[in-house]
Amino acid sequence: MALSFRTWSLHGSASPDRNSGTRAGWWAWFLQRLTGVALVGYLFLHILVISTVQAGEDAFNSVLIVLQKPFFVVLDLFLIAAVVYHGLNGVRVLFFDLGIGLKQQAGMFWICMVLTTIITVVAGYFSLPLIFRN
Amino acid sequence: MAAPLTENQATGVVGFWPWFFQRISGVLLIALLAVHIWMGHFSGLRAVIEGSQEELVLYSIVQQRLAQGLFVFVDFSLLGLVLYHGLNGMRNILLEWPAAARRAQAMTLGLWVLGAATFVYGAWALLAFML
Repeated sequence: MALSFRTWSLHGSASPDRNSGTRAGWWAWFLQRLTGVALVGYLFLHILVISTVQAGEDAFNSVLIVLQKPFFVVLDLFLIAAVVYHGLNGVRVLFFDLGIGLKQQAGMFWICMVLTTIITVVAGYFSLPLIFRN
Repeated sequence: MAAPLTENQATGVVGFWPWFFQRISGVLLIALLAVHIWMGHFSGLRAVIEGSQEELVLYSIVQQRLAQGLFVFVDFSLLGLVLYHGLNGMRNILLEWPAAARRAQAMTLGLWVLGAATFVYGAWALLAFML
């Protein structure tokens, strides 16, 4: 159904960007939407998890201990990547709204991707002791 | 060049203020989430690795944090701003769907009700750490 939305064609999936000759603009838009929807889903789960505190301190702690096991620390890295990309690309879009960088939009997309990768790798590096702890 | 305006943006279905506040809330969220993620996932990392603290996040840790006005401000601002930003983003997506765009007012009202109810629910959870 989503594919029938007119925007999928309006955002240029069929043709390369005029200035860059790439489809970076479409990917930037697609990833912004994908991470946005995923983060909304996560938000409701997050609020639900925190609300277990209403069942008492022990209930909250038992849930939080499970959610800090290595598997979930790894999932958190995907969360970090999604948040960082969404924020950085949001700033990129904000620049365009202010009329800045329109001709450099493909390059700015790649800067977002590189920074997202660096920040996620650094976060992953510091999380290694949590991922491999007993 | 920037992604072209969607049909709805071009015709103003999204509206100026939702567009404007999406950007304001987005910028504020960058700052607030940086604090939130740092405090939740990294500030206690050394203590957990060294074994002087059991986990990064436990009831007592959140409780101590929410005893400080700064974190009360950060958490309640985050709850409100992130719900606005997320649901407004969903509204932008839904408005591209003709069936929803025709019922834009009812859909917007529905999202506000969902957002307000979730804010109350989230605030009720946060208050459990403070009362």
